[in-house]
Amino acid sequence: MDAGGDGATGATNRKAPSAAAAGSNPKGKGKGKGKGKATSNSKASATAKESSLLKQKSPAEFFAENKNIAGFDNPGKSLYTTMRELVENALDSAESISVIPDIEITLEEITKNKFNTMIGLVDRDRIDEELYDDFESIKAREKRLAKEARFQETQAKNAALGKKVKEAPAARGKGRGEAAFFRVTCKDNGRGMPHDDIPNMLGRVLSGTKYGLRQTRGKFGLGAKMALIWSKMSTGLPIEIKSSMKEQNFISFCRLDIDIHKNVPHIHLHEKRENKDHWHGAEIQVIIEGNWTTHRSKILHYMRQMAVITPYAQFLFKFLSDSVDKNLTIQFARRTDVMPPIPLQTKHHPSAVDLLLIKRLITETTKQNLLQFLQHEFVNISKSHAERLIGEMGPDFSAKMTVKSLTSQQLVRIHQLFRQAKFDDPSGNCLSPAGEYNLRLGIIKELHPDLVATHASSPQVFEGHPFIVEAGISIGGKDVKHGLNIFRYANRIPLLFEQGADVITRTALKRINWSSYKINQQQDKIGVFVSIVSTKIPFKGTGKEYIGDDITEISSAVQSALKQCCLQLKSKIVKKLQARERQDRKRNLNRYIPDVARAIMDTLGEIADETPPKRPRYDKEDEELLEKVNSQEVTEMTFRDCLTQHVEQVWKTFSEKS
Amino acid sequence: MSEKKRRAGAGAAAGGSASKKPRVSSAASYAESLRSKLRPDASILATLRALASACSKSEPAGASSSSKALAEDDPAANYIVVADQDSASVTSRINRLVLAAARSILSGRGFSFAVPSRASSNQVYLPDLDRIVLVRRESARPFANVATARKATITARVLSLVHAVLRRGIHVTKRDLFYTDVKLFGDQAQSDAVLDDVSCMLGCTRSSLHVVASEKGVVVGRLTFADDGDRIDCTRMGVGGKAIPPNIDRVSGIESDALFILLVEKDAAFMRLAEDRFYNRFPCIILTAKGQPDVATRLFLRRLKVELKLPVLALVDSDPYGLKILSVYMCGSKNMSYDSANLTTPDIKWLGVRPSDLDKYRVPEQCRLPMTDHDIKVGKEMLEEDFVKQNEGWVKELEMMLRTRQKAEIQALSSFGFQYLTEVYLPLKLQQEDWI
Repeated sequence: MDAGGDGATGATNRKAPSAAAAGSNPKGKGKGKGKGKATSNSKASATAKESSLLKQKSPAEFFAENKNIAGFDNPGKSLYTTMRELVENALDSAESISVIPDIEITLEEITKNKFNTMIGLVDRDRIDEELYDDFESIKAREKRLAKEARFQETQAKNAALGKKVKEAPAARGKGRGEAAFFRVTCKDNGRGMPHDDIPNMLGRVLSGTKYGLRQTRGKFGLGAKMALIWSKMSTGLPIEIKSSMKEQNFISFCRLDIDIHKNVPHIHLHEKRENKDHWHGAEIQVIIEGNWTTHRSKILHYMRQMAVITPYAQFLFKFLSDSVDKNLTIQFARRTDVMPPIPLQTKHHPSAVDLLLIKRLITETTKQNLLQFLQHEFVNISKSHAERLIGEMGPDFSAKMTVKSLTSQQLVRIHQLFRQAKFDDPSGNCLSPAGEYNLRLGIIKELHPDLVATHASSPQVFEGHPFIVEAGISIGGKDVKHGLNIFRYANRIPLLFEQGADVITRTALKRINWSSYKINQQQDKIGVFVSIVSTKIPFKGTGKEYIGDDITEISSAVQSALKQCCLQLKSKIVKKLQARERQDRKRNLNRYIPDVARAIMDTLGEIADETPPKRPRYDKEDEELLEKVNSQEVTEMTFRDCLTQHVEQVWKTFSEKS
Repeated sequence: MSEKKRRAGAGAAAGGSASKKPRVSSAASYAESLRSKLRPDASILATLRALASACSKSEPAGASSSSKALAEDDPAANYIVVADQDSASVTSRINRLVLAAARSILSGRGFSFAVPSRASSNQVYLPDLDRIVLVRRESARPFANVATARKATITARVLSLVHAVLRRGIHVTKRDLFYTDVKLFGDQAQSDAVLDDVSCMLGCTRSSLHVVASEKGVVVGRLTFADDGDRIDCTRMGVGGKAIPPNIDRVSGIESDALFILLVEKDAAFMRLAEDRFYNRFPCIILTAKGQPDVATRLFLRRLKVELKLPVLALVDSDPYGLKILSVYMCGSKNMSYDSANLTTPDIKWLGVRPSDLDKYRVPEQCRLPMTDHDIKVGKEMLEEDFVKQNEGWVKELEMMLRTRQKAEIQALSSFGFQYLTEVYLPLKLQQEDWI
């Protein structure tokens, strides 16, 4: 933004960079408008370049330069983000036509040679070795070889001693130029795209179908388009799209890349192909630079967490490479057919609008007069309520006045009134939470915990936006580490980065007194799952990777949901503990039985051994007992059995009492 | 000027002891000057003889009064008092307990021992008897109870072990006993505690169980006795002294020409006295338990006191623990309160080192230590103890210690020379009859 774009064409107040930098208000751009402006902007910038130094930037260019905003900080993160954007698009697409999602993701590693042949570049051997960064001087090589020899020696020694053999240290890190490339393919069974719209849907940034006020998975409406920009930047290869809609007898095939400068799609091939299997859905293939080594675990975590929150979907994840042992195929099976409803588009709540938004609503509205406008373009304003509001605005306003004729001052008045007046809270009807049942199912399916509890809060409101918090807590399970394992979801997508400052992490760590629910924060394997859905998720940070801890409504909702889960668990845990304690106590009693039996028997034996004249006389009963000892009628085992029975009996009465 | 004269005189009076070079420190020179105050040993011996004869005369009266107190109160009813018993009667008591337990088990009722409680709330100091005694209060120790199962098991095991020991007519140490079933006992403190319980249950002393602690105390001086039939002459025991037999039954034929018994807290002071043959200059028996006294040393001291009727003088550190050790010799410990009748030696005189001595002998500052918070706490607790309150002199000394907040060990006197203790301090103390 070196040229501060605002100056050149004053009318472009909806310019992408500023809007995106503000970040929080993507709904501010209608689909059609975005298109038109973007093209005219770039034209203007072309002419401006000739006359002055003022430059314009297309939205695509802006994101290309600030790719970290969209989660493309480095090759590894880019690979992760590309994959997740494609997966989330696929889920949305299938859900939008109420089909249970079936998604295949394939990451295929492409070696440099293969990549070069792909782009038609002939491999060239290095001639001037010293030119390269990873050049190894003779001295350095000697050193390295000596070290490797030493290592092999100890290795052999260890092997001979039967010790565990350490893995060889990783080979020298790749040089700067040594990039890894991946073909990312994502295939779904969703809606598909209309043949003619495909280029614009994918080849133009900030154009999308998801704008509008509703709960959506996407963050900026960038999705696959950012992946396209990244592929353009790192490999220069176009993306390939196959798509077919229901009842369509052909498959659209499109190969395109993006003209970043103009923010327009550049179509290589766009044709219709045969659709024999009546397949519908989309398959997008993109070739990008990435880093599997560093982001492998993040990608797998993402898939697992997604599987937890989306148990009605089936995911097939594949990683392919030249070395077979690195290959990976994970199937996340479907466990239910119950899908959350599609989130409804909703109208704005009066307390959540700003001046700009009111203006836009007025330009877009089909309603003629103020009364109708208030009544129909907002939620929670009934006719009588609207009349009262208009009365409150003053003598300048009337119910019948044309809404389009309102002056800027009058708009400010309306805005101020909206801020101060009291309105009912928006209902959560437009939201689509994962559902307690699905969350529980997902947790059980992916973690196999010993105990699980879930809770869904009723809809709540912050700044005019409804939100619902759902929480789950699991104890034990496989592949779960000791202590807290936190799974965060916002609008049903997992959040993996910047965990530390997040409201969910902080609540779980600081505001839940685990020990009071008999949960050991260090020792137990605790899974904490919190899913927040809202028409507006108050993300923090440029990457939209976490939800801030400064919104009391959300943090207290999270806390109370977690506490509810804990309470459910507590009774179960206490029961378990009691059972174990009882078992322990009983075992403790039984443990000493052999010792006692031996001690008593030893002494009895000695007493009985004494010859009668030397031995003092005892009671008749004692004498009888000693007789039995002598005749081995009473032995150590007799005492053991009697004591075991006694303990059993005492135990029974004790248990009955408690 | 006068100082020098006095010191010259002191050298002469000491009768050819090595002449000392003048010291720079005034405290040291003062301490040396005290040497001149010593009268010839003969006159000191006369004092001691008077003390010894007074003691032997008053002793029977004191002994009879204490035994009378016992008889009148009939303490067996209210307090647990154990007595020495022969092994046959102990064995038969154990037999009865075991048979009862066995029958109880066979009848399906499990078993339980009635064990006198030795909790500290049960231990009381009786001023009439001048010792700590154990109040009779028994608690059940049933096997079929999580809280007592382990203790009941250990008790049964200890009974059986003691039975075996008695039957073979041998003695074992507490450590031996512990090692016969380490896995069950866990650590020695547990088997030791149960052993004391068993003593109480059977109403016999621990020595009657033929279980003894390892040797700890030592004795040296004008004493001969027979240890398991072997004649021991304690003047010919070198510097280390004769170890006090852990089993008092082995001791017989006690003879002595000593005028008093000197009880020493620590090994170091004991060695100094032994090496300097202090007992030859002033006929005495010197003994130490090297810190907290064990049962054997206490039994031995009592035996000496009763048989020889000699006065007992104590040399302990000037700190709360020195006094505590003194109290254990005199009134018994809480742990062994059930046997306090056999273990205590009343009428021990506190010879030194007393808090007032620190200034009297001008012990230099660098040899005194500040009392820690814990020391002061213990000191204040001691002030509340009945046996301290009984003796006005002791109260004064203890108050003085707490006021100055200083303590000192016997070794502080070594700052005037290693032999100051034997050559000046003790003779002067004895001459001045400076004990309380």
